[in-house]
Amino acid sequence: MSHHYTLHYFAVLREQAGCREEQLISEAITPDALYAEVRARHGFTLDAAFLRVAINDVFADWHAPLRTGDSIVFIPPVAGG
Amino acid sequence: MTVQHTNEVSAAFEFRLSEEAIDVPAEQATLADPGAGGYVAFEGWVRDHNEGQRVLRLAYEAYPRLAIAEGRRILQEAQQRFGLKSARCIHRTGLLDIGGLAVWVGVSAPHRGEAFAACRYIIDEVKHRVPLWKQEFYADGASGWVNCERCATAPSVPAPATPHQHEHEHAHVHPHAHGNQASLPNYARQEALPGVGTAGQARLAAARVLIIGCGGLGVPAATYLAGAGIGSLTLVDPDVLEPTNLPRQVAYAAADCGQAKALLLAERLRTLNPRVGLHTHVAAADAALLELLVPRHDVVVDCTDRLAVKFAINDAAQRHGIPAVLASVHQYEGQLQVVRPGGSCLRCVWPQAPRDGLVGNCAEAGVLGPVPGLLGTWQAFEVLRLLLRLEASRDGVLTVDLLGGQTRFLHAPRAPECSSAHGCVRLPANSASAEPLELPDLRAALDRGLCIVDVRNADEAAANPLAVPHQHLPMDRLLQDLGQLPPAAGWLFVCARGLRSSAVAAACREAGHATAYSLAGGAGN
Repeated sequence: MSHHYTLHYFAVLREQAGCREEQLISEAITPDALYAEVRARHGFTLDAAFLRVAINDVFADWHAPLRTGDSIVFIPPVAGG
Repeated sequence: MTVQHTNEVSAAFEFRLSEEAIDVPAEQATLADPGAGGYVAFEGWVRDHNEGQRVLRLAYEAYPRLAIAEGRRILQEAQQRFGLKSARCIHRTGLLDIGGLAVWVGVSAPHRGEAFAACRYIIDEVKHRVPLWKQEFYADGASGWVNCERCATAPSVPAPATPHQHEHEHAHVHPHAHGNQASLPNYARQEALPGVGTAGQARLAAARVLIIGCGGLGVPAATYLAGAGIGSLTLVDPDVLEPTNLPRQVAYAAADCGQAKALLLAERLRTLNPRVGLHTHVAAADAALLELLVPRHDVVVDCTDRLAVKFAINDAAQRHGIPAVLASVHQYEGQLQVVRPGGSCLRCVWPQAPRDGLVGNCAEAGVLGPVPGLLGTWQAFEVLRLLLRLEASRDGVLTVDLLGGQTRFLHAPRAPECSSAHGCVRLPANSASAEPLELPDLRAALDRGLCIVDVRNADEAAANPLAVPHQHLPMDRLLQDLGQLPPAAGWLFVCARGLRSSAVAAACREAGHATAYSLAGGAGN
């Protein structure tokens, strides 16, 4: 079964994806599966271990269940100052 | 001398630096005053030992412009507090032998009580606040720089009578001490705000804020906080001003390159708001300094560009129950997090404590001035929100994307293991390692027979190739599989500034390669 998600990328992910936001139809039902899918497509260099995911603007577990229509943010830490 | 004219220090009140030996009888003679009932003097001498080391002689070096300004300010304070007739302090610079007179303080007052107290006040404040550095020459032929006493480096030593208390009295008891009213900030516009008022303004004047990092974030954060009338600001930064700082660190002057940023920013802020008590530490915010400073402040502001320091600040703030305002930028984006006692903290968001080098800093990723400018300004706002007890901030990370014109607040619930006292203060398991991760130069690596690996991108490596035999393996590729490392007794990783290479070396150590090192400071671009 396919689900419809809105994905948001930050920092180096935005650079590597070439966009800050995209709509996606996916079979994935957890953030880790979804990240693996978009990582393969965009060539993200960062492993999920270095990132956090937020579902509908709340930080969440990589194995949390996703529902169609969810807004998902993948975010790496940033350090510049 | 009347309070209205205290901007001018008369001849009876003098602070001076001297390359020459101090002429004590001549200095003492200037203290005479028909209204004085006596004088008290203090002499500081060079002693032959310090912290177990035998000292043969020492040299004092000053930052004259700021040293003299700070010294004069201390004399003014002493005059106002103790009603002195006169006060003088002469501090030596240059080389001194054992027994040499390093500093002389003399005060005269109508009564002995004030004279003793004022003399003590002046020498304590001078030793704590005036930017002077001491180079000690030891019996074993070595020498060491001792940071001025203001940068108290030994956390085990109880903090001296806190200087901010003096500053506060100075600011509140003598609000007109620095000349006429017109030349001082008037807080009427902010006091007019609902939620501020004179009560809020008094809270700001009583507050002590610690700002770590005087760069792209620290400059706007500190500037707005000084303008708002924070009672006491402590500025910490180990670096000197560099030309690459100027496009975004806009409080500085190009002519001041090479000078310590913490001192320059303090001087700049003093011109903005002479009421603010300013304290500086030209030092890296290591665990010892944080342990000393954090509990003496009401809010900590993280304006650094190192993840390791951000975590150390987060941990110290949590440990002492002090709120912290953290921010970072990456290219056209920024992240901001307010960490409150009992709320979620940096480790609740990043339980893995990512390493520096993986995410890039301003030097590697690039930055446009207004991005840290906005985030640093936002940090100042969050500090004011906390101090004024305005509508409380939420637990989580505010992301700002200037290019996309978007902000987004990501709510971060407090992690279950983040108990109010201990959960987040556990140090990451990989933080302690007996063997240093960095080597100072390529020679040290060649002496150890290490294989040198350049982890910069291909274009960086081509633009500035290493002059010694080496392998090239960009970090991104290498981290995907450490099995690509060339067989060797050990490796020295090299990047442009030493951040990426230390991340790679740390990853190798974690994978069991004990002989992985990083070139300190990198090879340049």
